[in-house]
Amino acid sequence: MTSKKNVLEVKNLQAWFGKFHAVKGVSTDYPEKSITAIIGPSGCGKSTYLRCLNRIHEEVPGARSSGQALLLGQDIFAPEVDPVELRQNIGMVFQKPNPFPALSIFENVVVGLKLQGIKNKAKLLETAERCLRKAALWEEVKDKLHQQGTSLSGGQQQRLCIARALAVNPPVLLMDEPTSALDPIASAKIEELMQDLKEDFTVIVVTHNMQQAARVADYTSFLMLGELVEHGPSEIIFTNPKQSKTEDYITGRFG
Amino acid sequence: MLNQQTHNATPTKSIAKKLSGAYGDKVAKVFMQTVALAILALLFLMVYLLFEMSLEAIKEFGFGFLTSTDWDPIMEEFSALPFFYGTLVTSILALLIAAPISVMVAIFITDILPVKLGQVLGLFVEMIAAIPSIVFGLWGLFFLAPIVREQITPLLKSTLGFLPIFQGPSFGIGVLTASIILAIMILPTITSISREVFKSVPQHQKEAALALGATREEMIRLAVLRPSFSGITGAIVLGFGRALGETMAVAMVIGNSSRISASLFAPGATMSSVIANEYAEASAGLHLSSLCYVGLLLFLVTLVVNSSARFIVWKFSPIARSARKDKRA
Ligand SMILES: Nc1ncnc2c1ncn2[C@@H]1O[C@H](COP(=O)(O)OP(=O)(O)OP(=O)(O)O)[C@@H](O)[C@H]1O
Ligand SMILES: [Mg+2]
Repeated sequence: MTSKKNVLEVKNLQAWFGKFHAVKGVSTDYPEKSITAIIGPSGCGKSTYLRCLNRIHEEVPGARSSGQALLLGQDIFAPEVDPVELRQNIGMVFQKPNPFPALSIFENVVVGLKLQGIKNKAKLLETAERCLRKAALWEEVKDKLHQQGTSLSGGQQQRLCIARALAVNPPVLLMDEPTSALDPIASAKIEELMQDLKEDFTVIVVTHNMQQAARVADYTSFLMLGELVEHGPSEIIFTNPKQSKTEDYITGRFG
Repeated sequence: MLNQQTHNATPTKSIAKKLSGAYGDKVAKVFMQTVALAILALLFLMVYLLFEMSLEAIKEFGFGFLTSTDWDPIMEEFSALPFFYGTLVTSILALLIAAPISVMVAIFITDILPVKLGQVLGLFVEMIAAIPSIVFGLWGLFFLAPIVREQITPLLKSTLGFLPIFQGPSFGIGVLTASIILAIMILPTITSISREVFKSVPQHQKEAALALGATREEMIRLAVLRPSFSGITGAIVLGFGRALGETMAVAMVIGNSSRISASLFAPGATMSSVIANEYAEASAGLHLSSLCYVGLLLFLVTLVVNSSARFIVWKFSPIARSARKDKRA
Protein backbone atom coordinates (compact mmCIF):
# COMPACT_ATOMS: atom_id res chain seq x y z
CA MET A 1 0.00 0.00 0.00
CA THR A 2 2.72 2.44 0.88
CA SER A 3 4.48 1.86 -2.44
CA LYS A 4 1.55 3.39 -4.33
CA LYS A 5 2.16 6.87 -5.56
CA ASN A 6 -0.27 9.67 -4.80
CA VAL A 7 -2.50 10.87 -7.59
CA LEU A 8 -3.87 13.73 -5.58
CA GLU A 9 -2.34 15.51 -2.59
CA VAL A 10 -4.53 18.04 -0.86
CA LYS A 11 -2.76 20.49 1.41
CA ASN A 12 -4.51 22.82 3.82
CA LEU A 13 -7.65 23.27 1.75
CA GLN A 14 -10.03 25.97 2.96
CA ALA A 15 -13.37 27.04 1.54
CA TRP A 16 -15.74 29.89 2.22
CA PHE A 17 -19.26 30.93 1.26
CA GLY A 18 -19.00 34.68 1.66
CA LYS A 19 -17.88 35.05 5.28
CA PHE A 20 -18.91 31.52 6.25
CA HIS A 21 -15.89 29.26 6.67
CA ALA A 22 -17.15 25.86 5.46
CA VAL A 23 -13.93 23.86 5.06
CA LYS A 24 -11.14 24.64 7.51
CA GLY A 25 -7.77 23.35 6.40
CA VAL A 26 -8.12 19.79 5.17
CA SER A 27 -4.99 17.88 4.09
CA THR A 28 -5.19 14.37 2.63
CA ASP A 29 -3.29 12.21 0.16
CA TYR A 30 -5.14 10.06 -2.36
CA PRO A 31 -3.08 7.12 -3.70
CA GLU A 32 -3.64 5.84 -7.23
CA LYS A 33 -6.05 2.94 -7.68
CA SER A 34 -7.79 3.54 -4.40
CA ILE A 35 -11.18 4.45 -3.02
CA THR A 36 -11.45 7.00 -0.24
CA ALA A 37 -14.71 7.57 1.60
CA ILE A 38 -15.60 10.87 3.25
CA ILE A 39 -18.03 10.60 6.13
CA GLY A 40 -19.36 13.11 8.62
CA PRO A 41 -22.54 14.71 9.90
CA SER A 42 -24.83 16.55 7.52
CA GLY A 43 -23.67 20.08 6.83
CA CYS A 44 -20.06 19.43 7.90
CA GLY A 45 -18.65 20.45 4.52
CA LYS A 46 -18.20 17.15 2.68
CA SER A 47 -19.82 18.35 -0.52
CA THR A 48 -18.07 21.69 -0.34
CA TYR A 49 -14.71 19.98 0.06
CA LEU A 50 -15.38 17.65 -2.85
CA ARG A 51 -16.57 20.56 -5.01
CA CYS A 52 -13.28 22.36 -4.41
CA LEU A 53 -11.40 19.48 -5.98
CA ASN A 54 -12.86 20.04 -9.46
CA ARG A 55 -13.05 23.79 -8.92
CA ILE A 56 -16.84 23.88 -9.16
CA HIS A 57 -17.01 25.50 -5.74
CA GLU A 58 -15.61 28.74 -7.14
CA GLU A 59 -18.54 28.95 -9.61
CA VAL A 60 -20.93 29.64 -6.74
CA PRO A 61 -21.40 33.41 -6.42
CA GLY A 62 -19.47 34.72 -3.43
CA ALA A 63 -17.62 31.46 -2.80
CA ARG A 64 -13.84 31.10 -2.66
CA SER A 65 -11.17 28.69 -1.54
CA SER A 66 -7.48 28.55 -0.68
CA GLY A 67 -4.78 25.95 -0.24
CA GLN A 68 -3.29 23.44 -2.62
CA ALA A 69 -4.37 20.28 -4.39
CA LEU A 70 -1.61 18.61 -6.36
CA LEU A 71 -2.87 16.46 -9.20
CA LEU A 72 0.18 14.40 -10.24
CA GLY A 73 2.32 17.11 -8.74
CA GLN A 74 0.60 20.05 -10.41
CA ASP A 75 -1.41 22.42 -8.19
CA ILE A 76 -4.93 22.59 -9.65
CA PHE A 77 -5.43 26.09 -8.27
CA ALA A 78 -2.34 27.49 -10.00
CA PRO A 79 -3.16 30.37 -12.33
CA GLU A 80 -1.85 28.56 -15.39
CA VAL A 81 -4.23 25.63 -14.89
CA ASP A 82 -7.31 25.71 -17.10
CA PRO A 83 -10.30 24.54 -15.06
CA VAL A 84 -11.92 23.22 -18.25
CA GLU A 85 -9.06 20.82 -18.85
CA LEU A 86 -8.89 19.96 -15.16
CA ARG A 87 -12.56 18.93 -15.12
CA GLN A 88 -11.99 16.53 -17.99
CA ASN A 89 -9.58 14.72 -15.67
CA ILE A 90 -11.52 15.02 -12.44
CA GLY A 91 -15.10 13.90 -13.01
CA MET A 92 -17.97 14.46 -10.63
CA VAL A 93 -21.28 12.90 -9.70
CA PHE A 94 -23.28 15.53 -7.84
CA GLN A 95 -25.26 15.00 -4.67
CA LYS A 96 -28.44 16.09 -6.42
CA PRO A 97 -29.05 14.36 -9.77
CA ASN A 98 -28.79 16.99 -12.50
CA PRO A 99 -29.41 15.52 -15.96
CA PHE A 100 -29.93 18.07 -18.73
CA PRO A 101 -33.67 18.50 -19.27
CA ALA A 102 -33.29 19.46 -22.92
CA LEU A 103 -31.34 16.30 -23.76
CA SER A 104 -32.44 12.70 -24.21
CA ILE A 105 -31.13 9.88 -22.05
CA PHE A 106 -28.64 8.94 -24.75
CA GLU A 107 -27.50 12.53 -25.29
CA ASN A 108 -27.08 12.99 -21.56
CA VAL A 109 -24.66 10.09 -21.34
CA VAL A 110 -22.49 11.14 -24.27
CA VAL A 111 -22.62 14.91 -23.83
CA GLY A 112 -19.14 14.97 -22.28
CA LEU A 113 -17.69 13.15 -25.30
CA LYS A 114 -19.46 15.51 -27.66
CA LEU A 115 -17.93 18.43 -25.79
CA GLN A 116 -14.55 16.87 -26.50
CA GLY A 117 -15.44 16.89 -30.21
CA ILE A 118 -16.19 13.19 -30.65
CA LYS A 119 -18.90 12.78 -33.29
CA ASN A 120 -18.55 9.17 -34.40
CA LYS A 121 -22.05 7.81 -33.92
CA ALA A 122 -20.97 4.19 -33.46
CA LYS A 123 -18.47 5.15 -30.79
CA LEU A 124 -21.05 7.28 -29.00
CA LEU A 125 -23.60 4.47 -29.05
CA GLU A 126 -21.05 1.96 -27.84
CA THR A 127 -19.95 4.26 -24.99
CA ALA A 128 -23.53 5.00 -24.00
CA GLU A 129 -24.38 1.33 -23.71
CA ARG A 130 -21.18 0.46 -21.84
CA CYS A 131 -21.57 3.29 -19.33
CA LEU A 132 -25.28 2.70 -18.80
CA ARG A 133 -24.54 -0.98 -18.14
CA LYS A 134 -21.83 -0.07 -15.63
CA ALA A 135 -24.24 2.31 -13.91
CA ALA A 136 -26.82 -0.51 -13.73
CA LEU A 137 -29.33 1.44 -15.78
CA TRP A 138 -29.12 -0.12 -19.24
CA GLU A 139 -31.88 -2.68 -18.83
CA GLU A 140 -34.32 -0.03 -17.65
CA VAL A 141 -33.68 2.52 -20.39
CA LYS A 142 -32.47 0.59 -23.45
CA ASP A 143 -35.91 0.88 -25.09
CA LYS A 144 -36.33 4.57 -24.43
CA LEU A 145 -32.94 6.11 -25.03
CA HIS A 146 -34.53 9.02 -26.84
CA GLN A 147 -36.82 10.08 -24.04
CA GLN A 148 -35.96 13.13 -21.98
CA GLY A 149 -33.35 12.51 -19.30
CA THR A 150 -35.58 14.18 -16.73
CA SER A 151 -38.42 11.77 -17.45
CA LEU A 152 -36.61 9.18 -15.30
CA SER A 153 -37.20 8.56 -11.60
CA GLY A 154 -34.89 10.13 -9.02
CA GLY A 155 -32.81 6.98 -8.57
CA GLN A 156 -32.63 6.43 -12.32
CA GLN A 157 -31.49 10.02 -12.79
CA GLN A 158 -28.78 9.44 -10.22
CA ARG A 159 -27.50 6.45 -12.19
CA LEU A 160 -27.82 8.40 -15.43
CA CYS A 161 -25.52 11.04 -13.96
CA ILE A 162 -23.06 8.34 -12.93
CA ALA A 163 -23.06 7.01 -16.50
CA ARG A 164 -22.56 10.55 -17.80
CA ALA A 165 -19.51 11.04 -15.58
CA LEU A 166 -18.08 7.64 -16.58
CA ALA A 167 -18.35 8.38 -20.29
CA VAL A 168 -15.46 10.85 -20.27
CA ASN A 169 -13.28 8.31 -18.47
CA PRO A 170 -11.73 10.64 -15.89
CA PRO A 171 -8.70 9.31 -13.95
CA VAL A 172 -10.11 10.81 -10.76
CA LEU A 173 -13.83 10.51 -9.99
CA LEU A 174 -15.57 12.45 -7.24
CA MET A 175 -18.89 10.93 -6.16
CA ASP A 176 -21.17 12.81 -3.79
CA GLU A 177 -23.56 10.34 -2.18
CA PRO A 178 -23.97 8.39 -5.43
CA THR A 179 -26.33 5.80 -3.92
CA SER A 180 -28.47 8.02 -1.69
CA ALA A 181 -31.60 7.44 -3.79
CA LEU A 182 -30.95 3.81 -4.73
CA ASP A 183 -32.41 0.52 -3.57
CA PRO A 184 -30.00 -2.06 -2.10
CA ILE A 185 -29.60 -3.96 -5.36
CA ALA A 186 -28.74 -0.89 -7.42
CA SER A 187 -26.49 0.34 -4.59
CA ALA A 188 -24.60 -2.94 -4.64
CA LYS A 189 -24.11 -2.58 -8.39
CA ILE A 190 -22.69 0.92 -7.94
CA GLU A 191 -20.35 -0.35 -5.24
CA GLU A 192 -19.25 -3.04 -7.67
CA LEU A 193 -18.67 -0.32 -10.24
CA MET A 194 -16.46 1.56 -7.81
CA GLN A 195 -14.39 -1.55 -7.26
CA ASP A 196 -14.02 -1.89 -11.04
CA LEU A 197 -13.00 1.74 -11.40
CA LYS A 198 -10.36 1.23 -8.76
CA GLU A 199 -8.48 -1.07 -11.11
CA ASP A 200 -7.30 1.99 -12.99
CA PHE A 201 -8.60 5.10 -11.30
CA THR A 202 -8.90 6.98 -8.07
CA VAL A 203 -12.32 7.43 -6.49
CA ILE A 204 -13.34 9.77 -3.70
CA VAL A 205 -16.85 9.12 -2.46
CA VAL A 206 -18.99 10.97 0.08
CA THR A 207 -21.42 8.70 1.88
CA HIS A 208 -23.69 8.60 4.90
CA ASN A 209 -23.71 4.82 4.78
CA MET A 210 -21.03 3.54 7.18
CA GLN A 211 -21.35 -0.05 5.96
CA GLN A 212 -20.81 1.14 2.44
CA ALA A 213 -17.70 3.08 3.43
CA ALA A 214 -16.33 0.12 5.36
CA ARG A 215 -17.13 -2.23 2.46
CA VAL A 216 -15.71 -0.35 -0.49
CA ALA A 217 -13.25 2.26 0.75
CA ASP A 218 -9.57 1.63 1.27
CA TYR A 219 -9.32 4.86 3.23
CA THR A 220 -11.85 6.90 5.15
CA SER A 221 -11.84 10.56 6.18
CA PHE A 222 -14.05 11.78 8.99
CA LEU A 223 -15.05 15.43 8.70
CA MET A 224 -16.78 17.51 11.35
CA LEU A 225 -17.65 21.21 11.27
CA GLY A 226 -15.39 21.72 8.30
CA GLU A 227 -12.37 20.08 9.92
CA LEU A 228 -10.73 16.78 9.15
CA VAL A 229 -10.94 14.91 12.42
CA GLU A 230 -9.31 11.69 11.30
CA HIS A 231 -8.09 10.03 8.14
CA GLY A 232 -6.70 6.53 7.72
CA PRO A 233 -7.25 3.02 6.36
CA SER A 234 -10.92 2.13 6.64
CA GLU A 235 -10.35 -0.95 8.77
CA ILE A 236 -8.69 1.23 11.40
CA ILE A 237 -11.26 4.07 11.25
CA PHE A 238 -14.14 1.64 11.63
CA THR A 239 -12.63 -0.73 14.18
CA ASN A 240 -10.10 1.22 16.15
CA PRO A 241 -10.27 4.98 15.59
CA LYS A 242 -7.79 7.16 17.39
CA GLN A 243 -10.14 10.05 18.00
CA SER A 244 -13.05 9.70 20.39
CA LYS A 245 -15.15 11.96 18.15
CA THR A 246 -14.75 9.49 15.31
CA GLU A 247 -15.73 6.61 17.53
CA ASP A 248 -18.79 8.48 18.80
CA TYR A 249 -19.86 9.20 15.23
CA ILE A 250 -19.43 5.75 13.77
CA THR A 251 -21.05 4.05 16.72
CA GLY A 252 -24.01 6.40 16.35
CA ARG A 253 -23.58 8.12 19.67
CA PHE A 254 -23.28 11.40 17.86
CA GLY A 255 -24.40 13.12 14.69
CA MET B 1 -60.05 32.42 35.56
CA LEU B 2 -57.49 34.63 34.03
CA ASN B 3 -56.18 31.69 32.12
CA GLN B 4 -59.57 30.84 30.75
CA GLN B 5 -60.15 34.35 29.60
CA THR B 6 -56.98 34.50 27.66
CA HIS B 7 -57.75 31.11 26.24
CA ASN B 8 -61.14 32.24 25.09
CA ALA B 9 -59.97 35.47 23.61
CA THR B 10 -57.92 33.91 20.88
CA PRO B 11 -60.51 31.63 19.27
CA THR B 12 -63.24 34.28 19.25
CA LYS B 13 -60.93 36.73 17.65
CA SER B 14 -59.77 34.31 15.01
CA ILE B 15 -63.34 33.24 14.21
CA ALA B 16 -64.32 36.87 13.83
CA LYS B 17 -61.35 37.36 11.58
CA LYS B 18 -62.26 34.32 9.54
CA LEU B 19 -65.82 35.58 9.10
CA SER B 20 -64.71 38.98 7.97
CA GLY B 21 -62.16 37.26 5.78
CA ALA B 22 -64.84 35.16 4.10
CA TYR B 23 -67.04 38.21 3.65
CA GLY B 24 -64.12 40.20 2.32
CA ASP B 25 -63.30 37.39 -0.06
CA LYS B 26 -66.85 37.43 -1.40
CA VAL B 27 -66.79 41.18 -1.99
CA ALA B 28 -63.43 40.95 -3.66
CA LYS B 29 -64.64 38.12 -5.86
CA VAL B 30 -67.72 39.98 -7.03
CA PHE B 31 -65.64 43.08 -7.62
CA MET B 32 -63.07 41.16 -9.66
CA GLN B 33 -65.74 39.45 -11.71
CA THR B 34 -67.37 42.78 -12.49
CA VAL B 35 -64.10 44.34 -13.53
CA ALA B 36 -63.20 41.35 -15.67
CA LEU B 37 -66.58 41.41 -17.39
CA ALA B 38 -66.37 45.17 -17.90
CA ILE B 39 -62.98 44.81 -19.58
CA LEU B 40 -64.33 42.09 -21.82
CA ALA B 41 -67.37 44.19 -22.68
CA LEU B 42 -65.14 47.16 -23.47
CA LEU B 43 -63.05 45.02 -25.79
CA PHE B 44 -66.12 43.80 -27.66
CA LEU B 45 -67.50 47.32 -27.85
CA MET B 46 -64.27 48.55 -29.37
CA VAL B 47 -64.18 45.80 -31.96
CA TYR B 48 -67.85 46.38 -32.73
CA LEU B 49 -67.42 50.14 -33.17
CA LEU B 50 -64.40 49.63 -35.35
CA PHE B 51 -66.38 47.14 -37.38
CA GLU B 52 -69.30 49.52 -37.74
CA MET B 53 -67.06 52.34 -38.85
CA SER B 54 -65.38 50.05 -41.37
CA LEU B 55 -68.68 48.76 -42.72
CA GLU B 56 -68.77 51.12 -45.69
CA ALA B 57 -65.31 50.02 -46.80
CA ILE B 58 -66.06 46.37 -46.13
CA LYS B 59 -69.16 46.58 -48.32
CA GLU B 60 -67.28 48.39 -51.05
CA PHE B 61 -64.09 46.29 -51.18
CA GLY B 62 -64.73 43.09 -49.25
CA PHE B 63 -61.74 40.77 -49.29
CA GLY B 64 -60.36 42.58 -52.32
CA PHE B 65 -59.14 45.03 -49.71
CA LEU B 66 -56.28 42.65 -49.10
CA THR B 67 -55.38 41.83 -52.68
CA SER B 68 -55.48 45.00 -54.74
CA THR B 69 -52.51 47.33 -54.38
CA ASP B 70 -54.02 50.77 -54.91
CA TRP B 71 -54.47 53.26 -52.15
CA ASP B 72 -55.58 56.46 -53.81
CA PRO B 73 -57.76 58.81 -51.76
CA ILE B 74 -58.42 61.05 -54.78
CA MET B 75 -59.70 58.22 -56.94
CA GLU B 76 -61.34 56.66 -53.87
CA GLU B 77 -59.49 53.41 -54.46
CA PHE B 78 -58.48 51.77 -51.21
CA SER B 79 -56.54 48.65 -50.31
CA ALA B 80 -54.70 47.53 -47.19
CA LEU B 81 -52.11 45.44 -48.97
CA PRO B 82 -49.30 48.04 -49.14
CA PHE B 83 -49.66 48.69 -45.41
CA PHE B 84 -49.98 45.05 -44.53
CA TYR B 85 -46.80 44.49 -46.51
CA GLY B 86 -45.06 47.47 -44.87
CA THR B 87 -46.02 46.29 -41.40
CA LEU B 88 -44.80 42.80 -42.08
CA VAL B 89 -41.51 43.87 -43.64
CA THR B 90 -40.60 46.46 -40.99
CA SER B 91 -41.56 44.14 -38.15
CA ILE B 92 -39.69 41.15 -39.51
CA LEU B 93 -36.62 43.24 -40.29
CA ALA B 94 -36.78 44.76 -36.81
CA LEU B 95 -36.92 41.25 -35.36
CA LEU B 96 -33.97 40.09 -37.43
CA ILE B 97 -31.96 42.97 -36.03
CA ALA B 98 -33.27 42.98 -32.46
CA ALA B 99 -33.67 39.30 -31.63
CA PRO B 100 -30.00 38.22 -31.75
CA ILE B 101 -28.87 41.41 -30.02
CA SER B 102 -31.50 41.10 -27.29
CA VAL B 103 -30.75 37.47 -26.59
CA MET B 104 -27.05 38.23 -26.41
CA VAL B 105 -27.58 41.19 -24.13
CA ALA B 106 -29.77 39.03 -21.88
CA ILE B 107 -27.12 36.30 -21.70
CA PHE B 108 -24.51 38.92 -20.92
CA ILE B 109 -26.60 40.25 -18.08
CA THR B 110 -27.44 36.89 -16.52
CA ASP B 111 -24.38 34.74 -17.17
CA ILE B 112 -21.34 36.65 -18.32
CA LEU B 113 -21.03 40.07 -16.70
CA PRO B 114 -20.33 40.42 -12.98
CA VAL B 115 -23.68 40.63 -11.15
CA LYS B 116 -23.52 44.36 -10.38
CA LEU B 117 -22.49 45.35 -13.89
CA GLY B 118 -25.22 43.14 -15.31
CA GLN B 119 -27.83 44.87 -13.18
CA VAL B 120 -26.66 48.26 -14.41
CA LEU B 121 -26.81 47.17 -18.04
CA GLY B 122 -30.26 45.69 -17.38
CA LEU B 123 -31.41 49.00 -15.96
CA PHE B 124 -30.22 50.88 -19.03
CA VAL B 125 -32.05 48.47 -21.32
CA GLU B 126 -35.26 48.87 -19.31
CA MET B 127 -34.89 52.62 -19.59
CA ILE B 128 -35.12 52.37 -23.38
CA ALA B 129 -38.64 51.06 -22.87
CA ALA B 130 -39.55 54.24 -21.00
CA ILE B 131 -38.58 56.59 -23.85
CA PRO B 132 -41.72 58.02 -25.51
CA SER B 133 -42.35 56.93 -29.06
CA ILE B 134 -42.32 60.49 -30.36
CA VAL B 135 -38.80 61.00 -29.02
CA PHE B 136 -37.68 57.96 -30.97
CA GLY B 137 -39.34 59.49 -34.01
CA LEU B 138 -37.48 62.77 -33.63
CA TRP B 139 -34.23 60.98 -33.01
CA GLY B 140 -34.81 58.83 -36.07
CA LEU B 141 -35.62 61.81 -38.23
CA PHE B 142 -32.68 64.01 -37.28
CA PHE B 143 -30.01 61.54 -36.25
CA LEU B 144 -30.62 58.10 -37.68
CA ALA B 145 -31.95 59.06 -41.11
CA PRO B 146 -28.77 60.91 -42.15
CA ILE B 147 -26.65 58.01 -40.93
CA VAL B 148 -28.74 55.55 -42.92
CA ARG B 149 -28.48 57.75 -46.00
CA GLU B 150 -24.78 58.51 -45.81
CA GLN B 151 -23.22 55.51 -44.14
CA ILE B 152 -25.41 52.44 -43.91
CA THR B 153 -26.81 52.63 -47.43
CA PRO B 154 -23.44 52.92 -49.21
CA LEU B 155 -22.09 50.10 -47.05
CA LEU B 156 -25.00 47.79 -47.86
CA LYS B 157 -24.88 48.68 -51.53
CA SER B 158 -21.18 47.93 -51.81
CA THR B 159 -21.44 44.60 -50.02
CA LEU B 160 -24.92 43.21 -50.69
CA GLY B 161 -25.93 45.48 -53.54
CA PHE B 162 -26.68 42.55 -55.85
CA LEU B 163 -29.86 41.89 -53.84
CA PRO B 164 -32.92 43.81 -55.06
CA ILE B 165 -33.75 44.82 -51.48
CA PHE B 166 -30.53 46.84 -51.31
CA GLN B 167 -30.94 48.70 -54.58
CA GLY B 168 -32.33 52.09 -55.52
CA PRO B 169 -31.87 55.56 -54.08
CA SER B 170 -31.96 56.28 -50.35
CA PHE B 171 -33.46 59.43 -48.86
CA GLY B 172 -32.67 58.46 -45.31
CA ILE B 173 -36.27 58.06 -44.36
CA GLY B 174 -37.77 54.76 -45.44
CA VAL B 175 -38.43 51.16 -44.54
CA LEU B 176 -34.89 50.44 -43.33
CA THR B 177 -34.77 53.43 -40.99
CA ALA B 178 -38.17 52.56 -39.58
CA SER B 179 -37.05 48.98 -39.01
CA ILE B 180 -33.93 50.07 -37.14
CA ILE B 181 -35.98 52.34 -34.89
CA LEU B 182 -38.44 49.52 -34.31
CA ALA B 183 -35.58 47.16 -33.49
CA ILE B 184 -34.34 49.51 -30.79
CA MET B 185 -37.85 49.89 -29.42
CA ILE B 186 -38.51 46.16 -29.09
CA LEU B 187 -35.07 45.40 -27.71
CA PRO B 188 -36.12 45.91 -24.06
CA THR B 189 -39.16 43.64 -24.47
CA ILE B 190 -37.19 40.70 -25.84
CA THR B 191 -34.25 41.30 -23.51
CA SER B 192 -36.21 41.40 -20.30
CA ILE B 193 -38.30 38.31 -21.09
CA SER B 194 -35.21 36.39 -22.21
CA ARG B 195 -33.53 37.45 -18.98
CA GLU B 196 -36.32 35.94 -16.93
CA VAL B 197 -36.07 32.75 -18.96
CA PHE B 198 -32.29 32.52 -18.45
CA LYS B 199 -32.56 33.36 -14.77
CA SER B 200 -34.86 30.40 -14.25
CA VAL B 201 -32.12 27.97 -15.31
CA PRO B 202 -30.99 26.31 -12.08
CA GLN B 203 -27.37 26.68 -10.96
CA HIS B 204 -26.96 22.89 -10.75
CA GLN B 205 -27.58 22.60 -14.50
CA LYS B 206 -24.73 24.97 -15.20
CA GLU B 207 -22.50 23.10 -12.77
CA ALA B 208 -23.34 19.83 -14.52
CA ALA B 209 -22.06 21.25 -17.80
CA LEU B 210 -18.92 22.78 -16.29
CA ALA B 211 -18.08 19.59 -14.40
CA LEU B 212 -18.04 17.72 -17.72
CA GLY B 213 -15.34 20.01 -18.99
CA ALA B 214 -17.50 22.51 -20.85
CA THR B 215 -16.04 25.94 -21.51
CA ARG B 216 -18.07 28.93 -20.40
CA GLU B 217 -19.44 29.31 -23.93
CA GLU B 218 -20.31 25.61 -24.21
CA MET B 219 -21.94 25.73 -20.80
CA ILE B 220 -24.13 28.63 -21.89
CA ARG B 221 -25.15 26.83 -25.05
CA LEU B 222 -25.79 23.48 -23.37
CA ALA B 223 -27.27 24.42 -20.01
CA VAL B 224 -28.79 27.85 -20.62
CA LEU B 225 -29.73 28.42 -24.26
CA ARG B 226 -30.91 24.93 -25.15
CA PRO B 227 -33.53 24.51 -22.46
CA SER B 228 -34.60 28.14 -23.01
CA PHE B 229 -35.41 27.72 -26.68
CA SER B 230 -39.18 27.92 -26.35
CA GLY B 231 -38.98 30.75 -23.84
CA ILE B 232 -36.84 32.78 -26.24
CA THR B 233 -39.31 32.02 -29.03
CA GLY B 234 -42.10 33.43 -26.89
CA ALA B 235 -40.03 36.54 -26.12
CA ILE B 236 -39.39 37.09 -29.83
CA VAL B 237 -43.04 36.69 -30.76
CA LEU B 238 -44.00 39.20 -28.06
CA GLY B 239 -41.43 41.59 -29.49
CA PHE B 240 -43.01 41.00 -32.90
CA GLY B 241 -46.39 41.92 -31.44
CA ARG B 242 -44.96 45.16 -30.12
CA ALA B 243 -43.37 45.97 -33.47
CA LEU B 244 -46.63 45.40 -35.35
CA GLY B 245 -48.55 47.98 -33.38
CA GLU B 246 -45.88 50.64 -32.92
CA THR B 247 -47.10 53.83 -34.57
CA MET B 248 -45.67 57.24 -33.88
CA ALA B 249 -41.96 56.71 -34.41
CA VAL B 250 -42.59 54.66 -37.54
CA ALA B 251 -45.02 57.19 -38.96
CA MET B 252 -42.32 59.86 -38.62
CA VAL B 253 -39.50 58.04 -40.36
CA ILE B 254 -41.00 55.62 -42.86
CA GLY B 255 -41.74 58.19 -45.54
CA ASN B 256 -45.44 57.45 -46.01
CA SER B 257 -45.72 55.99 -49.43
CA SER B 258 -48.47 53.57 -50.32
CA ARG B 259 -46.40 52.04 -53.09
CA ILE B 260 -45.01 48.56 -52.51
CA SER B 261 -41.31 48.61 -53.32
CA ALA B 262 -38.78 45.82 -53.17
CA SER B 263 -36.07 48.15 -51.94
CA LEU B 264 -35.62 48.62 -48.21
CA PHE B 265 -34.28 52.12 -48.90
CA ALA B 266 -37.58 53.20 -50.43
CA PRO B 267 -40.27 54.93 -48.39
CA GLY B 268 -43.26 52.86 -47.33
CA ALA B 269 -46.08 52.83 -44.81
CA THR B 270 -47.41 50.48 -42.18
CA MET B 271 -50.97 49.80 -41.09
CA SER B 272 -50.60 52.00 -38.06
CA SER B 273 -48.58 54.74 -39.73
CA VAL B 274 -51.14 55.25 -42.48
CA ILE B 275 -53.89 55.71 -39.93
CA ALA B 276 -51.83 58.19 -37.95
CA ASN B 277 -50.85 60.15 -41.03
CA GLU B 278 -54.15 60.26 -42.88
CA TYR B 279 -57.02 60.20 -40.46
CA ALA B 280 -56.93 63.97 -39.88
CA GLU B 281 -57.41 64.73 -43.55
CA ALA B 282 -59.76 61.85 -44.23
CA SER B 283 -62.98 63.77 -44.70
CA ALA B 284 -64.72 61.56 -47.17
CA GLY B 285 -66.66 58.65 -45.70
CA LEU B 286 -65.02 55.94 -47.71
CA HIS B 287 -61.49 57.13 -46.91
CA LEU B 288 -62.18 57.25 -43.18
CA SER B 289 -64.01 53.96 -43.31
CA SER B 290 -61.09 52.34 -45.13
CA LEU B 291 -58.68 53.59 -42.46
CA CYS B 292 -60.94 51.99 -39.85
CA TYR B 293 -60.91 48.79 -41.87
CA VAL B 294 -57.10 48.89 -41.79
CA GLY B 295 -57.31 49.44 -38.03
CA LEU B 296 -59.63 46.48 -37.64
CA LEU B 297 -57.22 44.25 -39.54
CA LEU B 298 -54.30 45.51 -37.47
CA PHE B 299 -56.24 44.75 -34.31
CA LEU B 300 -56.91 41.20 -35.44
CA VAL B 301 -53.28 40.60 -36.43
CA THR B 302 -51.86 41.90 -33.15
CA LEU B 303 -54.46 39.97 -31.19
CA VAL B 304 -53.44 36.71 -32.83
CA VAL B 305 -49.69 37.38 -32.51
CA ASN B 306 -49.85 38.51 -28.90
CA SER B 307 -52.04 35.69 -27.73
CA SER B 308 -49.87 33.10 -29.42
CA ALA B 309 -46.81 34.63 -27.75
CA ARG B 310 -48.52 34.50 -24.35
CA PHE B 311 -49.47 30.93 -25.09
CA ILE B 312 -45.90 29.95 -25.97
CA VAL B 313 -44.45 31.69 -22.92
CA TRP B 314 -47.10 30.14 -20.68
CA LYS B 315 -46.88 26.69 -22.16
CA PHE B 316 -43.14 26.43 -21.79
CA SER B 317 -42.63 28.40 -18.60
CA PRO B 318 -40.98 26.26 -15.91
CA ILE B 319 -43.97 26.71 -13.58
CA ALA B 320 -46.47 25.52 -16.15
CA ARG B 321 -44.18 22.67 -17.06
CA SER B 322 -43.80 21.44 -13.52
CA ALA B 323 -47.56 21.83 -12.95
CA ARG B 324 -48.21 19.59 -15.93
CA LYS B 325 -45.67 17.11 -14.65
CA ASP B 326 -47.43 17.01 -11.26
CA LYS B 327 -50.69 16.34 -12.98
CA ARG B 328 -49.22 13.42 -14.87
CA ALA B 329 -47.58 11.95 -11.79
N1 LIG C 1 -24.40 27.83 -1.63
C1 LIG C 1 -24.15 27.97 -0.32
N2 LIG C 1 -24.16 29.20 0.24
C2 LIG C 1 -23.91 29.36 1.56
N3 LIG C 1 -23.64 28.36 2.40
C3 LIG C 1 -23.61 27.12 1.91
C4 LIG C 1 -23.88 26.86 0.53
N4 LIG C 1 -23.79 25.53 0.32
C5 LIG C 1 -23.51 24.98 1.52
N5 LIG C 1 -23.40 25.94 2.48
C6 LIG C 1 -23.06 25.71 3.89
O1 LIG C 1 -21.81 25.10 3.98
C7 LIG C 1 -21.82 24.09 4.95
C8 LIG C 1 -21.34 22.80 4.33
O2 LIG C 1 -22.27 22.35 3.37
P1 LIG C 1 -22.08 21.02 2.55
O3 LIG C 1 -23.10 21.00 1.49
O4 LIG C 1 -20.67 20.93 2.14
O5 LIG C 1 -22.41 19.92 3.66
P2 LIG C 1 -22.39 18.33 3.52
O6 LIG C 1 -21.39 17.84 4.49
O7 LIG C 1 -22.24 17.93 2.12
O8 LIG C 1 -23.84 17.97 4.06
P3 LIG C 1 -24.84 16.82 3.56
O9 LIG C 1 -24.35 15.56 4.16
O10 LIG C 1 -26.13 17.21 4.14
O11 LIG C 1 -24.82 16.80 2.09
C9 LIG C 1 -23.22 24.01 5.50
O12 LIG C 1 -23.25 24.62 6.77
C10 LIG C 1 -24.06 24.76 4.53
O13 LIG C 1 -25.06 25.46 5.20
MG1 LIG D 1 -23.42 17.06 0.73
